[in-house]
Parts: sequence; C-alpha cells; structure tokens
Amino acid sequence: MGRRAEHPRSEQWPQQAEPPAVELRAVRRLHGRGDSAVQALRGIDLALPRGSFTAVMGPSGSGKSTFLQCAAGLDRPSSGEVLLGGEEITRLSENRLTELRRSRIGFVFQSFNLLPSLTVQQNVLLPQRLAGQRQDRRLAKELLARVGLGEHGARRPGQLSGGQQQRVAIARALVTQPEVVFADEPTGALDTRTAQEVLGLLRQAVDSMGATIVMVTHDPVAASHADRVLFLADGALAGTLERPDPQSVADRMIRLTSAAAAAGHGGAGGAGAVAA
Amino acid sequence: MTNGLARASVRFRPASFAGSFVALLFASAIVTASGTLLQTGLTAHLAPVRYASTPVLVAADQSVQISVEHGKDASTTSMPLPETARVDAALAQRIAAEPGVAGAAADFTFPLLLSPTAARTDGSSAQPPLTGRPFSAAAETLPAGTAALTAGSAPGPGEVALDSDAAQAAHLTVGDRITLTAPGTPESAGVTGAASYRISGLVADQGAPGEAANAWFADDVAGRLSGHPGLADTIAVQPRSGVGTAELARQVRQAVGPGPQVLTGDARATVEQPQLGEARQMLTSLGGSFGGIATMTAVFVVMGTVALAAGQRGREFALLRAIGATPRQIRRTIATEAMLLAPTAGALGVLPGLALARWWLGQLVSRGAVPSGVSLSVGPLPMLAAVGAGLLAALGAGYLAARRPAKLRPSQALDEAAVERARPGVVRTVLGAVALAGGVVLATVAARQAGDAAANTALGVVMCFLLAVALLGPLLARLATTVLGLPLRSGCAGAAGSLAADNTRANARRLASAITPIVMVTAFCGTLLFLQSTISHVSAQQVRSGIVADQVLGSAGPGLPAGVAGRAAQVPGVDAAVGVLRSSAVYRSGDTLASVSVLGVSGDPAQLPRVLDLGVRSGSLDALGGTGGAAAVRTVALDVQLAESLGVKVGDPVPLWLGDGTQVRPTVVATYQRGLGLGQVLLSRAALADHVAASFDSQVLVSDAPGADRGAVAAALGRLGVPALTVTDAEGFGVQADHEQSISNWANTVMAAVLGGFAAVASANTLMMTVLDRRREVGLLRLAGTTRRQVRGMLRWEALLVATTGLLLGGAIAWTTLVPVTRGITGSSPYIPTAVALPLAVAVVVLALGSTALPGRALLRARPVEAAAGKQ
Repeated sequence: MGRRAEHPRSEQWPQQAEPPAVELRAVRRLHGRGDSAVQALRGIDLALPRGSFTAVMGPSGSGKSTFLQCAAGLDRPSSGEVLLGGEEITRLSENRLTELRRSRIGFVFQSFNLLPSLTVQQNVLLPQRLAGQRQDRRLAKELLARVGLGEHGARRPGQLSGGQQQRVAIARALVTQPEVVFADEPTGALDTRTAQEVLGLLRQAVDSMGATIVMVTHDPVAASHADRVLFLADGALAGTLERPDPQSVADRMIRLTSAAAAAGHGGAGGAGAVAA
Repeated sequence: MTNGLARASVRFRPASFAGSFVALLFASAIVTASGTLLQTGLTAHLAPVRYASTPVLVAADQSVQISVEHGKDASTTSMPLPETARVDAALAQRIAAEPGVAGAAADFTFPLLLSPTAARTDGSSAQPPLTGRPFSAAAETLPAGTAALTAGSAPGPGEVALDSDAAQAAHLTVGDRITLTAPGTPESAGVTGAASYRISGLVADQGAPGEAANAWFADDVAGRLSGHPGLADTIAVQPRSGVGTAELARQVRQAVGPGPQVLTGDARATVEQPQLGEARQMLTSLGGSFGGIATMTAVFVVMGTVALAAGQRGREFALLRAIGATPRQIRRTIATEAMLLAPTAGALGVLPGLALARWWLGQLVSRGAVPSGVSLSVGPLPMLAAVGAGLLAALGAGYLAARRPAKLRPSQALDEAAVERARPGVVRTVLGAVALAGGVVLATVAARQAGDAAANTALGVVMCFLLAVALLGPLLARLATTVLGLPLRSGCAGAAGSLAADNTRANARRLASAITPIVMVTAFCGTLLFLQSTISHVSAQQVRSGIVADQVLGSAGPGLPAGVAGRAAQVPGVDAAVGVLRSSAVYRSGDTLASVSVLGVSGDPAQLPRVLDLGVRSGSLDALGGTGGAAAVRTVALDVQLAESLGVKVGDPVPLWLGDGTQVRPTVVATYQRGLGLGQVLLSRAALADHVAASFDSQVLVSDAPGADRGAVAAALGRLGVPALTVTDAEGFGVQADHEQSISNWANTVMAAVLGGFAAVASANTLMMTVLDRRREVGLLRLAGTTRRQVRGMLRWEALLVATTGLLLGGAIAWTTLVPVTRGITGSSPYIPTAVALPLAVAVVVLALGSTALPGRALLRARPVEAAAGKQ
C-alpha cells in the first residue's frame, strides 16, 4: 500500500535554521462585505516543515479550500501574513505571485487540471513554457514515466481517464521541482484503486524528491498517507493528528462534525453528518 | 509562447471561433465593397465618344465652389451643377484667330419634338429622341478628313440636315419636310412653337451608339431654337496639322483668358456626360458613409463575438492563471487567437465584397444614376484596408475581451467562471451613462433645429445611443428581461416560461451580446427605412392636396413647348392653365452645399392657386413674377422648412445658385408648406427659363371653369396639336416621381438590407453559441425532471425575450432619432408603414427562434447523464 515509507527524513523535525516550507501568521479571510460578510478563516497560525506531507481536513464550510488558496498565493487574505520558504508573499504584486506559481509552487485541482487543447506532454511542460524557459522534455518524459503514463505523452486530455488526468496534473505540478505542492482534493473524483496510485505518487514525491505537499481532503484513507493531519472547523484550527491511521482520523472527523452540527445548525442530526 | 497556445486553441476547437470568423469575413466583405465604390467614385472617368476626334474643348466650370474656413486654413467645397453652365459662343472667333487652330465652332444641344408626318405610318405618339445642334459643329467634331455631308447641302434658314442613319430609319430623304418643335421660338413658328423645315442634306454619323439622332441647323437658327442665343455648351477646336494637343491647349488658353476651362484627354467626357460629376459625388458619399457605418457595426460585432468566446472559456484562463500565466500573457493569447483568424477571414471576404460592389454599381447604372461607361475601379487599396481593419478589430476585441480574465486572481476566476458577475464594471457603466446622456442632449438639440442641421445631427444621436447600448448592454438586458419576464414568471406560460424568465435574468450579460446586434439592426434599419417612408408619405400627401388642377398635360417625350400653356388657357371651358418648368438650385447650408428642387410657373401668379395649392403660410404669391433675363430673378417663394434652414423670412434676400451656376439674391415674397412634394423653391417661369438646359415644361396644369364638362375639355386639350401630348387628371402629376428621391430610397434600402443582414448573422451566431454552451445545464434540467418539450419551450421563450428586448430598444432609439429629424425635414412626425415594420419585426423574431431551436435540438439529443457530467 505504501502508506508511509519508513524514511528517516519524514520522521525528523526540520532544523531550526531551515525556514518552514509554508507558514501562516494570523491569517483571516472575509468573503463579501458589511453585515453579510462570512468569515472563511478566523486567524490561522501554523508552520509546515520542509519535506512533509500534510493533510488538511474538516467538515464542509470549514474553510479548507480557502486555506489552501491563501497558502498557495491564489488568493489574498484579508489580514495576516503568508510566508513561503521564509519569504512573505501576501504583499507581493500579482506579477511576482505569478512568477512564484511557475517556479516554486505546484498546484493540483480536483478536476479540470489540464488544457484540453494541448497534448499531455505539452501540459506537463506548461509552467516552463509560461516562464519563457527552455522546455526540459527529458524531465517531462521522466516524470510521466514515474506517474505511469510514459507512452501517453502525445495524447490529448480528452482521451485519458479521470485518474490518468490527475496523474498528469501531478507530473505537471512537479516539473518545476517546486518547494511546495498544494493539492485540492486530488482523489475526490477517482475510484479507490486509482486514488491509491495517486496517493502513492504523492508519497513518493515527498520521500524520494524531498517535496513538501499540502493536501486538502475529506477522505480519511487518503489522509492516512500523510505525515500529519490538520483539522479545520469554522475557519479555525481544531487540532492535529500525527502519524494518522484511517480510524482515528474518522473518529476525529465525526466528533468535529457533530460538534459543528450541534453548535451552529441546531436541528440537523449530528450522527448523520459524517461525510464532510 | 502565446502564439503556440493560441494556435493550439484555435486548431483544437475551431467551432468556437467560427462566430468570430464569420463576423470578420462579413466585415471584410462590406469594407471591400464600400472601399471599392469609394475608389470608383474618386477615379471614375469616361472616354469621350462624341468628341473623340476633337482634341481640345472649351467649357464652363460645371460646379459651384465655396471656400470654407477652418480656423486659419480654408478649403474648397464644390458641388456639381444640376443644369449646364454655358460659355459665350463668340469665343469661337477669338480661338479661331490663333495660329495653331484650324477651326473652332460653338456646339450645343437642345431637345426636339417631331410632329408626326405622313411618312410615319405607325401613327404612334412615340418620340424618337432627336437632338438639335448647330451645323458648323459637325465639321469640327468629325475625324479629320471625313466630309460632314454625305448628301445634299448645308442647311440654311428654314432648313435642317439629319444624320443619315436616322433619316434612313424614318424613311426620310433630301427634300422632305418635317415639323419640329424646339425650346426656343424661331421666327416662323406657329402658335405652339412648331415650324416646318426642309431637309437640305444628310450628315455622316458621329459614331455614338445609343445617343439620340442629331438634327443640324444653321448656326444662328440653332442659337435661337436652343433658347440661349449667343451661348454654347462647349467650343470644339481642331488643330492645324503638326500642332500637338498640349500646344493647342496653350494657345486656346491664351485666347479665352482665365475664366472658362480648357479640356483635353478624358476630361472632355464631362461635357458629353454632365451627370458624371453628380455620379462621382454620389458614389464617393455612398462608399464613404456606408463604409463608415458598416465598419463601426463590424467592429462592434467582432468585439461581441470575441468577448463571448473568451468568456465561455473562463475556466481555462483561470487554470492558466493558477499555473503561472501573467495577465499580460493571457491578454496576448486571446488577442493572438483573434488575430489568427483575421487574415484568412479578411482574404475570404474580399471576393464577395467585390461581387457586392459590382452588383451595386450595375444597379446604379441601370437606374440611370451613373453613366453606363463607368466601370468598377478594382484596386488593392480597399482590400488591404478591409484586411487591415479586420486585424485591428480582432486585436482590439481580443484585448478588450481579455481584460477581465487576465486581471482576476485565480481563485476569483475559478468562482466566477461558474456564475456571472451581477454588476458590470464601474468604468463601463459611467461611460455608458455618459453616452446615453449625450444621445438625449443631441436629440433635444436636433429637435430645435430645422432641415439639414437636424438630419446631420441624427447620425450623432443614433451613434450615441448605440454606444450606450453596447456599454450598458448587460444592465439594460437585465432590466428588460426582468420587466418582460414578469408575465412569464407569473406562470401563465407554464414551467418553461418561468424557467426562461429566470434564466434570462441571471444570464443577462451573456444574452446582452445577442441583444446588442438586434438593437443595432433595428435602430439603423428603422431610422433609414422609416425616414425614407416618412418623406415619401408626406410628399405624396402634399402632392395629393396640392394639385387642385382638373387636368394635367404631360409629355411622352422631352416636354411641352412654352406656348402650350397659353394655348390651353384659350380652350373653351378652361379657367386657368399654368406651365410648370422643373429645375434644381444650389444653396449654402453652413459649410456644405445642398441642392433643392425648383418650380417655375408661367402666367399670372395670382392665378396659381386655381391649379396649385401650395399652402402659403406667410406673404403672398402675387408679388412673384418678372420678365426674362438674369436680372429678373428678383422674387422667390420658399418652402417653410427651407426658409427655416436658411434663416430667412418674407422680405429677406436669399442667396442661391441657379441650375446653370448663376448667382442670384432674390427677395422672399412668400413661404409655403407643401414644398417637399411639389418643389421647394418657386420662381416665375420666365425668370427661370434662361437658366435651364432645355426650357420645355414638364407639365401644364389646367383647371376647368365651374360647370364645364370635364370630358369635353380633356378632348379639346388633346387636339391642341402638340406632339407626344398626354392628358391625365391630377393623379398624373404624382406619377412623375422624383428621380433623385427614388434612387436615394433604393440606396437606403440596400444599405439597410446589408447592415441588417450582417447584424442578423452576428445575432444568430451569438445565440447559437450561448445555447451550445449550455449542454451541462440542459442535462441537469432533464435529470431534474424537465421534459424535452419543456426544455424546447424554455429555449423558445428565451429567444422571444431576446428578440422583443432587441426590437423594443432598437425601436426606441430609432423613434428618438426620427422624431426631430422628420420634424426638421417634413415638419411632421414619423410615418411608420406597417407593411415595412411588421415584416422586419417578424423576421427578427423568426431569426431568434431559429438560432436557438436548431442548437437546442442538438443538445437535447445527448443523453442527460453524460451531458450533466460535463463531458465536453
């Protein structure tokens, strides 16, 4: 299954000299304005070390996707700071952020990751192309082989299955050898076996390439591949779990979900609200 | 890099670019057509036929010129004269004295009426066209070495020589007598101006097929018969052997001085075909104005289609932004995609554009607006302009369309891709409000102006409003669909109707790009067509109420001689008879020149109201009158609208140029209402006759004495012995429609059709694109339980809402523009014939319904589950 390779690096805490891969300080995010404003994030403070695989979980409406987008620089928090590799990105201009996205951050969405008009290989090389760099075809082929799609380089996304598309997306996210890869429910639309393959790939990236991965998910099994799980509820951190296993993750989720149901949405049955 | 992305998108999904491609193709065709017409107008020339063997001609300047000041510069505006300006015939002697000149003769033409002779057995009243000319011109216009006479001798007083071909065709020969009537009066003329001439000889043919046959008179006889003794249309000059054209021209210039023009080469054709000047002006203004409007429409449309296509791919651009594309890269990608289409579309549009220009010119020639020798001037300039304009439009459209997807933060873009933003941008709203305000202000200003000024402001009004509609499109669409959707939402049209109402309101922005072309075509076509219909309607009304005569005498030939009115007045039972001579005049309106119709009426002006009720508003017609001669154009009556345009009232002098270029300043003695239908300037016939090309009356209006038998009077009038006379009642007057008006009507209709067609194509294309993009939505609807029939119904109601909104907005713009303009031109409110308005509205509705039904059917064929899953 390859859930968590026994690798010394993933067991260690990083040296204090090395800045954390991702750091959030008092990050708040408001949607809308005035009285109808919704607080998606209520002051998040956290630091994620290099070479770690972190899963972020929580009931729906907990702010998972917003957290990911703020951490990745896709969205600007209303207040607070976000640092990537020790460098503050919240005050960067849109152009500088774009450059970051090309070189130091990789992003995998739940769906619609690939441009339908380009081939698989062209999609993988897209970040380099956008940066105006020379396209490293050898690296692309190697990454495609590593995700198990070595012969599919000339196909178009429309000819691939959902799982294959996700794997291409991972290859693309890794092609610039980024510091951090953010994944928003990467296995949400996949069947169990493909999901396992994709998660294995992500785990491999962390173990052998030293990548840092932050993954949002609602699936306890997926979360168990990570080094640790962060729980979000109502826009705030609601606990962590080191070296998770699916059962304990699921238990935590049930507790969180029923707490949320009892607190905010009085009437809805707590026991029924398992799936986030 | 952006090139590669752009090329890949276009190659991968060509269908989504089809709309922009078609729009660019049409734009290119229209710009090519109008540019070619413009070029033809600027370069049109004819080769002289009649004067092909005459190297140098002397003629008067056939245009009116005024100098217009713009600050420190002055430019000249000119306008071709409606009638012929003449030169002094005595110049021929001065020219003949020059050393290089072999011979110089004054040449002029005048129409002739041929009385039926015994030799003509067919007995029909058809007139063979016959033109009178002075005999000495025959020698000077034939090729060197050709003898003028082929039989007989030169004509003397009381004699005439005919073209040999014409004589043969009419079975006439030397020695026969024919009776001819000319505009001027010879000494031996009968009471109706007819005189008998003996055919003294036959003249060699001049070789101009299709032209009228010539009848040659002795020079002084010809002068008197033409009605302008001492004046000539042109002086034909032949050189001595060995003298070149340039040298000859120089000598002639020396002889005549600075006034008249010395013409060589192709310029000589302007003497033969005086309407060449007008034709060139018409082609130029047609090409220019139509080209301008069409290009603006094309740019609007291309922007709409490109923006729509880009909007539909919002998710793709959001993804690109998330992966690391800068806003600049996104903008360049979209712009490059648009520009990839432009060259091919532009090139493909050139051939249809040329075909359109060719057809248009052919129609103008067959309607007599353009001389038949003028051919289309096909050159690379209009085509390059068309392709260039397409490129620019595509580029501009691409950059504008890319503004939003490029600027957003990726998370925003991902959210927005699903639901469209409720409020349009601030800048856009402000600009739109400014344009709307500007349109309203201009409309109020136009309402207070009169005549030409109002008409000129009309274009500004339409443009402002259309700009406002384009900018405020989504807001207006939302408003309109909310209001129009109320009945639907109440449930009277079932679930389909209320779904349609909600859909259109939520997706107003996307629908705005379908509504805007409909608004444009309705506004343009409405303004063009209904302005023309109002003018025709009011003219017809004015003619009907203005002609109070009981009989109208007309001519199947060139016209009626001057004495007919007097003869008709003496027929028993006739109360009054007035001859009507038609011409045109030119006046200055601000910085431009314009022409007006002129009516010259014979006899005592106090008798005029018995046959012609002009609706006199101020002053009195009694003071109108005078004897012949230029000095006698002392009094004039004007149409009320014209007087307001010129800012004159009774008692003021008004500066005018008569048809032959003579400048006069008559005093206004009266203003009247019915000028549009009857004639906007009223002069006495005697004063006008010296300034027209041929002073044949076009009609004589006769009113009967009370109690007289109409039939008997009509029969008596018919026996007046005037060749080609027709006797009708008041209806016959209106039948002689204004030639110019009918051409401009036809031109308007063609423009409206072309512009309308273009906008219709754009609208259909946009509707199709919006429907095809809703595959997922339709799938979801069907999964939720909507039947196929309900979905079709929903699409139909949406199409109806779109069509109705477009028609209402476009109609409102057309109405707001038309009211001040028609008030300025005709003094009444617009006349909208149902026979034109209804088919237009129905066509728009059918178009909208068809463009949604067809793709809708395609969508409904898909299986709902697949469609809802979003497998594109």
